[in-house]
Amino acid sequence: MAKLKTKPMKEPNKIINYWLKEKLIVAWIIIFGLVYNISIVLGPIYQGKLIDSIVNGNSLYSVSLISFTFVFIIAMNQLFRYFKRFYIRRFANSTSTTMRFMIYNNIMHKTATELDDENIGNLMTRAISDVQLCVEGMRKFSTEIFDTGVMMVTYIFSMIIYDMKITLFSIVFIPIAMLLADKLKIVIYKFSTEFRSKSSEVADITYNAIDNAVLYRISGMELQNKDKYNEELEDLQNKAIKANLLENSMRPIYNVIAMIGIIIVILMGGKKVIDGTWTVGIFSTYIIMFSTMSKKASRAAKLFNSIQKSQISWKRIVPYLTEYHDKDTTINFNADNTDLTVKNLSFIYPTGKDTVIENICFNGRQGEVIGITGPIVSGKSTLGISLLGFYPYLGSIKIDGKELKDYTDYEKSQMISYLGHSPQLLSETIYNNITLGNKMNISNVLKDVCFDIDIKEMTHGENTLVGNSGVRLSGGQQSRIALARTLINKNKIIILDDPFSAIDMKTEEKIIENLRSNYKESLIILISHRLTIFNKINQIILLHNDKKVEYGSHNELMENSQLYETIYNLQCAVGDEYEEK
Amino acid sequence: MKKNNLVKETIISVIKKNIIMFVLLAFIIIAVVVSSLVPPQILKNIIDNNLLPKDNEGLLLYATFYFCFIFLIGIFDFVKESLLTIIGQKITKEIRIKMMEKLEKVNAMFFSKNESGKVVSNFINDVDAINSMFTSGIIGMIIDCFKIIGVVFSIWMFSSKLGVIVLFLLPIIYSITRIFQKRMLKAQIENLVLVGKVNNHISESVKNISMIKSFSKEKYMEEKYNEYLIDNYETVEKVNFYDSIFSPIILIIRSMVIAFIVILSSKQLNFLGISVGMIAASIELISNLFTPIENVGMELQNIQQSISGIYKVNEFYNEPEDNEKIDELDVNNILNNDNLKISFNDMTFHYEEGKDILKDINLQINHMEKVTFVGRTGVGKSTLFKLVMGLIKPSKGNITINGIDVYDIPNKEKRNIFGYVDQSLHVIKGTVADQISLQDKSITMEQIKNSLDFVGLTDYIKTLENSYSTLVKNDNLFSQGQKQLLAIARAIVTNPPILLLDEITANLDSITEEKIVKVLQKASEEHTILTISHRLSSMIASDKVVILENGKIKNQGSPESLLQNDDWYRNHIALEKLTWS
Repeated sequence: MAKLKTKPMKEPNKIINYWLKEKLIVAWIIIFGLVYNISIVLGPIYQGKLIDSIVNGNSLYSVSLISFTFVFIIAMNQLFRYFKRFYIRRFANSTSTTMRFMIYNNIMHKTATELDDENIGNLMTRAISDVQLCVEGMRKFSTEIFDTGVMMVTYIFSMIIYDMKITLFSIVFIPIAMLLADKLKIVIYKFSTEFRSKSSEVADITYNAIDNAVLYRISGMELQNKDKYNEELEDLQNKAIKANLLENSMRPIYNVIAMIGIIIVILMGGKKVIDGTWTVGIFSTYIIMFSTMSKKASRAAKLFNSIQKSQISWKRIVPYLTEYHDKDTTINFNADNTDLTVKNLSFIYPTGKDTVIENICFNGRQGEVIGITGPIVSGKSTLGISLLGFYPYLGSIKIDGKELKDYTDYEKSQMISYLGHSPQLLSETIYNNITLGNKMNISNVLKDVCFDIDIKEMTHGENTLVGNSGVRLSGGQQSRIALARTLINKNKIIILDDPFSAIDMKTEEKIIENLRSNYKESLIILISHRLTIFNKINQIILLHNDKKVEYGSHNELMENSQLYETIYNLQCAVGDEYEEK
Repeated sequence: MKKNNLVKETIISVIKKNIIMFVLLAFIIIAVVVSSLVPPQILKNIIDNNLLPKDNEGLLLYATFYFCFIFLIGIFDFVKESLLTIIGQKITKEIRIKMMEKLEKVNAMFFSKNESGKVVSNFINDVDAINSMFTSGIIGMIIDCFKIIGVVFSIWMFSSKLGVIVLFLLPIIYSITRIFQKRMLKAQIENLVLVGKVNNHISESVKNISMIKSFSKEKYMEEKYNEYLIDNYETVEKVNFYDSIFSPIILIIRSMVIAFIVILSSKQLNFLGISVGMIAASIELISNLFTPIENVGMELQNIQQSISGIYKVNEFYNEPEDNEKIDELDVNNILNNDNLKISFNDMTFHYEEGKDILKDINLQINHMEKVTFVGRTGVGKSTLFKLVMGLIKPSKGNITINGIDVYDIPNKEKRNIFGYVDQSLHVIKGTVADQISLQDKSITMEQIKNSLDFVGLTDYIKTLENSYSTLVKNDNLFSQGQKQLLAIARAIVTNPPILLLDEITANLDSITEEKIVKVLQKASEEHTILTISHRLSSMIASDKVVILENGKIKNQGSPESLLQNDDWYRNHIALEKLTWS
């Protein structure tokens, strides 16, 4: 089996390039496609010779010789066919692999703003099924160039050699059948699109009924919905019948039309045998050739349909087939002496209308911990996100004196570690989730996030699989793994947005202690609504709902900010909301 | 409980309803089988009666006959395909209707236990599988078996010796076919697993894209994807190998059988003792034998695979149902006077034995009373609402309205008794007006307009393209706050005496918030209101607050008295007012 290496391709948006890319495979397809479809005529010819050898009463030796030749010819011919089939499938296989690879690359390199605009999950799955349809069409097209095109030429040529007149008279009906199939293609396409859109509509209705089942039940709507569902099903049934009748049931009809010529073949061919110009064997050879051609013609409709479908799919995936992206991984910053200066920072989401945060100013240095807090919708998470520099911002964010937007995306990601609300775990081992492909020792970082005890209790230790989105771990374990992943690179700036949800207060305190003592090379920005952890950190930014901002240390805010003081005291009184169950 | 076999019942009932169609199908099956045997016979006669004796007479007749049978085969095939399509669609429709009826009766707990996607797939994919199993599986197999029998029979008529040979060949060809088909299936299943991995990697990448970008791990994810793609490529190669080689091998075997028959009929051996015409016809018949044998194997395989669809559908059909409702109850005899009284009588609820969610709840709610339920997340507040609306049955005790058990009230009456405002608006398929009426035909446009007027959305809706008839296609048509108002309008459109307000936790700007509070205040003037604590609930005066803890009522009383003597409540309210969760 050939070892495949998926390589990025140039100009993936031109369909012809997929054939050009697989030059060797395409060459084999052409060679075997030609050899098979030219040598195919020998089959019926020798089958006729077999019959003639019986008619002529040949000796056993002679009959056996012809028989073996016949088997040998068929075997060789089928061997060519096998290679042709195999290489065409290999072509489809590697084309589909390349397309999927290129689409994946395209989507992974879209900007944050582009990603917000699109419902990627949906698009992606659709793109994948479109790739399948498209490649299927490309495969059929490549096949039929030979299996219909070349084969028909060879057959017609041989038939003409046998008899010009019979051939011309009899095959006249074959193009008629194909023409009819081509004309009906439009009608079939119309009916089958109607059916398909109805079918997805019914699927939608079903989903709606099931997804909102409780809503409909308490509204007493189920009875009316059921009646409507029945009507929709009736409609779907009728559309399905129409579409299927035309698409599948018409095939025998095309065959009948193409086969009209058989009367001429039998009549004129029979006369030639009686004349003595043809043998019985030639007669039977000719009939086989003629029948095979008619059958091909009756399948033409299916081919037309599948090529049409594949064109539609191609149009849908083409926007995702762009040149291969590669991130520039040169780094141009100093790992030490981190200095963050934020001046008049305001932020609007590209899709939103209002500024979420306004005029934020603060400084931070390596070794410090800065807390950000505020009520719901005060924009604390947004402040965290804007500091990543993936979205455009107003005002200035300077790291070591250079504006954040002037760093490359890669540099940003290597300077700033970020942990958002959801742990975003991959269905991999704990080790891989933390290191993401780098070879590192994770025992220290596990200790920092208080996971060392948890890991000892797991039979597979660091190689424990976390399951889809980490389902095999508790919520607290998931967020600690995610925290470990954020910490292991010890970047210049570490931004943690509410990392301790689902972690109990004692563990939380311990982790913060570890952060303070083991991550002195970094500037840590901690976003949280739990003020009880803020009494040990350097400075706090308190955001208000009305975009007012207060700055200060814990003690300063306890003195100067009424809101801060009230919340702090209330939270101490209400107690721990996140006790792990 | 007696197991119901929905699929079997439905198929039988469809047969009974369409008995004429099934009789016709039986007739067509016989016609298809018999007519396909005739052309080789005609060919035999042409060779034996015209070509060899060099006799012109009757040739035209034979030629016409030959075509007539081709024509008949075409027509029969067409009718067969059509009948199968129609019958298959009828079965599909019937099963789906029955499933929808079941959905109406199924216990409400079913919806919390099963994802919508899975249930939808029962409705769509599994039913489709049953359809294709019945039409192309079972009926296809019947036809193919008859075809095989027909061919063997025809050959037997020529020569019993040849008949015996063919009978011997049958199991050999069948086993070769099965070996290939089984290997192919195995490779296909392996491939499906890998396709699953590829797709899972895509959805995982999309889900975690912000994490991947923030660590610049696009390359790492791409390499992983590439690994899966290559594995996938290699299994597809394997499938392709079997796929490409199977048909060539069958054709080689066929040529060997033909050669064998010819050698046996050579003049010297003359083992079979049949005419040249018979030999030609036998070759033709044997060629026709291979396709049905291949098909039988495939059909068996399809049936095996789609049996799981039957299991899944039947499993759904046997889900526990709600108890029968008391149909005589209607809104008038429940709310016979203006005095409405809800009482919880010693009510306990658990999903699993021993794990009580709610324990011994005793509570009276009087006419027009406003009651707020508070407590930590997961304390069972939402479950309590489901119990009040009679969606689920208490494990012990009951809830009554004016002495009538809410669980006995038919669902169709509920909308006139309860108005339920959910945490978020479930947008249904349809227009703006449909969002309010839920497409209930008994609700007039007048009512819809009134309720939208009540929540103050009229002006906004009039600015929409088609005002009330605007299709709600995407999420952007309404803001978060407007959705909340729509949910209220939906709840009050039938003017029910009881309103249930589930947590309104959405992030709202202060203007919208004020609007919602005003609407709720207005609504509270004429309704009995049950509220699950949310930020806004403190702004609507409540008469009674019920604090839930560990499934029990911990404390209840007027908000004023609780503020004085319940510390937890006091702090909780204070934090809520500061919009600090």
